[in-house]
Order: sequence, then structure tokens, then C-alpha cells
Amino acid sequence: MGGDRRTALEFRAALVALAIAALVPAFVENAYWLGVLVVSMYFAILAGAWNLLAGYTGQFSLAPAAFAMMGAYATGLLGNNTGLPPLVTIPFAILATGAIGLALGRVVLRLSGPYLALTTLSFAEIMRLVASNSINVTRGDLGLPVTGLFQNRIGWYYLFLGTLALLLVLLYFLLRSRAGLFLQAIRDDEVAAARSGVDVVFWKTVAFALSSAACGLSGALYAHFAELVTPDLGTVGQTGLVVSMTVIGGMGTLVGPVVGAFLVYLVSEWLRDVGGYQLIVFSLLVIAFARFFRSGLWGIVTGLRRQPA
Amino acid sequence: MTGALAVDLAVNGLITGLFYALMAIGLSLIFGILRVVNFAHGEFYMVGAYAYTLIALALGVPAFIALPCAFLFGAFVGWLTERTLMRPLYAGYTSWGLMRDEYAVIVTFGLSLLLVNLVDKTIGPYAYRGPTLIDVSRIAIGPILISGHKLLAAGLAILIIGATAALMRWSFWGRQIRAVAQNRLGASLAGIDTAKASGLVFALSGWLAATAGALLSPVINASPDVGAFPAIKSYVIVVLGGMGSVPGSIIASLAIGVIESFGAVYGSYDYRDTFGLVLLILFLLFRPQGLFGERGREV
Repeated sequence: MGGDRRTALEFRAALVALAIAALVPAFVENAYWLGVLVVSMYFAILAGAWNLLAGYTGQFSLAPAAFAMMGAYATGLLGNNTGLPPLVTIPFAILATGAIGLALGRVVLRLSGPYLALTTLSFAEIMRLVASNSINVTRGDLGLPVTGLFQNRIGWYYLFLGTLALLLVLLYFLLRSRAGLFLQAIRDDEVAAARSGVDVVFWKTVAFALSSAACGLSGALYAHFAELVTPDLGTVGQTGLVVSMTVIGGMGTLVGPVVGAFLVYLVSEWLRDVGGYQLIVFSLLVIAFARFFRSGLWGIVTGLRRQPA
Repeated sequence: MTGALAVDLAVNGLITGLFYALMAIGLSLIFGILRVVNFAHGEFYMVGAYAYTLIALALGVPAFIALPCAFLFGAFVGWLTERTLMRPLYAGYTSWGLMRDEYAVIVTFGLSLLLVNLVDKTIGPYAYRGPTLIDVSRIAIGPILISGHKLLAAGLAILIIGATAALMRWSFWGRQIRAVAQNRLGASLAGIDTAKASGLVFALSGWLAATAGALLSPVINASPDVGAFPAIKSYVIVVLGGMGSVPGSIIASLAIGVIESFGAVYGSYDYRDTFGLVLLILFLLFRPQGLFGERGREV
């Protein structure tokens, strides 16, 4: 099957990218750049999770950053109020965001295209406003202090890398399975998929729940890494970054969001030093990629490979 | 006492609603003609506020000359958006094939980020306060006190909304736009230039959003991200009023303005911005065609 071969190739490319990332700490000892790479991996998980929903299932949610924020608050609030260790609170955050994702997925089932984007955007904004206004619970815009986990950056680096690799492997097997075919069938033609016996309601909800849980996990890890949770984690701008990374890397491919996240975040850190033009550059790139290169950087790379033949 | 307060809240809510209507009509027209949501609509508003404020302050021209310049600039930005980014949706040269909704979301979302950050970098992140149209600070109309600028701005808004509604209803171009919104293929077979109609709709909605921004600029203190909330409000309104329906948008705008105005006093001030959003989710669940929308069926 062509699709399976394509996915396998993307999977290998993603593993190569992660293997390169695993070697980086041998050469980079600067704590600042290691931190930048950790944040890139935080975004890579979000982009991968959003890609499962938008790229593979065709459900264009605009709430990935809000789910990361909720995951971060879930682990932070539970840990601070009960004193439970992160080993307990992070799985709780995954379950909580997964459950919220399940509920949101049920709510937006009948919506598509612009309606879906609007509803998820409103949901994200409501959640951010609630987090920022519930000052006696979340301390509002001051931010919620959260306990740390590791003393040094290397530990965080490999924890994030391991999580990213694990999620990537899980995603690969999901896509290889019948479930992956169902999701892509829903993306390509929902009516035809339903007529062919795909339980559209069930699989769309599953995709929402899985994607939200992955975002929640990433946000929960980030909370313990940054040791502070603020409502800023859930802004539309953050979702914009996630969308940019996926679109630039290649939507609907395994490797695209991962490579896109590293590229976009590293370049954005570099541009920040040059004068803060990062978001101008990325928004231009997003428009250009959406307009001319639908399959992103990965599509350009594979296109070049195919050209000589 | 509560009677006077209620009147005051109602009037202020209705005035706020007028500015929501300026935003929502444009968004609704765009949805009607291209079936896409413009996620950069708040940035048209922001551009209008900046154009008015900067032309008036930097060039030192009187406010009533800067105002039409801001309108024209908004119309130009709208037209340019259509020409460069929206045309692929129907001219058949997008690489996205059938995923036109997704293309539109990504492109307008990107445009929104671009405009916000472009203004942030070129003009600066500081807030600018726009000049008022007239310098009368308090006018008493019966029991209500209102600033001269607000009264004049509300009057202008009513005038422009009325003119737009009349234009859409009776003019040659308005009829062409409505024809394209009803059936693009049929309209083009009847000899209507659909591309021109789409361009016109974008220019008109850029104009309207810029009008709202410019008229409100003495109140809102223009900053690069000032468009986010009005935009989200107008998404809510357009869904409530029924996407593509101009009268629906106007009524829903006024309703939201009044609901927020009362809700902020009698409900919760901190959560005033969430009322509309909660209403939106409820509507999408139980009445997705909106108050006045017709339930469409695609074949």
C-alpha cells in the first residue's frame, strides 16, 4: 500500500530527526540553548497532536494551546493543593485534558470548517479568560508557581525527547492500524466514510480526546519545567505558532510537525536576538506555504527526490 | 434610580452594538459570498484605528478629513486581501483542492498574525489615543449624559449601516453581490463578474471594520492587538444572526451590546467578555443556522 510506505518513510525521517536531537547535548552545553530546545520539543508535541486532529482527521481545532494550558493548570493545581508528586499529577492532567477533549469533541461533532474553528477558538478564549480571572484559584496573570522536577537541563531534555519519541511511535502505530485509515477517510470525505461503515461520531471524538490528552501532557511537563503556569500559555498567538509549525513542516505528515517545530522555534529565538521579527517572518511563511506549498517543507523535500525519475 | 440606570445601560449597550454591527456586517457578507470566515477581521478594525489616529496626529490634519482617509485605507486593505489571498479559493489555482475551509482559516489566521506584528514592529506596541471629532465632553439628553464624540460617532455609524443595507438591497452592485452569494455558478452564467463582486465585498467589509476602529479610537486606545476582542465578538454575532444575513447581524449586534452592558453590571464584570462566547456555543449546539439564517443544504 502506497499510503503505508509513505507513512513508514515519514516515520523513519522523524526518527532520524529525533536521533540527531538526542546527540545534541553532547555538543551543546549552554543551558540557554538546551532550554530553547526543550521548549521546541514542547511545541513539537503540540504540533504533532494538532496534526493528528487537523492533518489526519480534518478537524480544524484552534484550541491546542488552551489544552496545553489546562494540562499545566491541572498538574499545578492538584500538586499545590494536595502535595502529590508530579508522577501522580501529570497522569491526572493527561486524563483531565483527555476528558475535556472528549466532551468538546462531542459538542462540536456536527460542526465543520469555519464553524468548528470558531467554536474551538471561543472555547479556548473562554478557558483563558476563566484562568486569568479566577484569581483566588489560579492567581490570575501573576501565574501559579509549580514544583520543579530535575536540577539540570539535561534531565528535562531527555524527558521531553523520550515523551516526543514515545508519542511519535504511538501515532505511527495508530496510523498504521485500521483506526488510522478511518481517521483519514473521515478527513477525505466524511459522508463517504460514514456510508462505508466508519463510525464517524466515535472516531472523531477519539481523535479529539487523544489530541487533547497529548496537548495536556505536553503542557503538564512544561509546567514543571518552567515552574510557573500563566494564562499566556493558552493565547491565540501560541496556537498560531503551533499552526505555523505544522503548516511549514508539512500538514498530514508524521515528520513535518516535529521538524517544523524545531525549525520555527529555533529560528524564532534567533530572530528575537536580531530584533523580534520572528512572527512577521512566520506569518508570511505560513501564508506562502498555505498558498503555494500545501504539503510543507516535507512535501518540497520528497518532491525534489521524485523529480529526477 | 434603577430606571435611570437601566435606560443608561440600554443606550450605552445599543451604541456599543452599533459598532459591533459595523464589524459583523462585513464578516457576514464575506461569509455569504465566499463561505469562509475572515480571521483577520479584527485587524481591519485595528488598521482603521491606526490609520485615523496616525493621519490625524502625524500629519496634523483635522479629524473629519482623517476619518475618510481611514475608511479608504481599510477598503484598500480589504480589497488587497481578496486579490492576493482569497482569489485562489474560487479561481481554481489553490493547491488545497477541496480543503478550502482549511485554506481560508490558515491564510486569514496568518494574515491576522502578520498585521498585528507588522504594526507592532513599525509603529510600536504603545497605545495611541485617537483625536475626538468634537470637543464637547457632556451632552444631556433627558436622563442620560453622553460625550459629544460618542453621540456623533453613533450617528455616523447609523448612517453608514443604513447606507450599506440600502446599497445591498437596492443598488446594482448590491444585487450582484447577493446573486453571487446565492449561487456563484448561476451568477457567473448570468454574466455577473463574480471576482469583482468578491473584491467589492472585501473592500466594503474592510471599510466597515476600519470605520468602527476609527470611530472608537478615542475610546479604545489603539494598540496592535486591539482587534482581537471585537473580532471574536463579531464572530459570535455573525453566528447568532445567521451567517450571511445583514439584518440578522444588525439585530444580533444590538442584542449582544445590550446583554453585555446589563450583564457587566447585574452579572459579573470580570466575565463580561465570556457571555457572548457561551451564547455562541449554545447556539451552535441547538440552532446552528442562527436567528435569521436559512438552513442550507449542499448537493
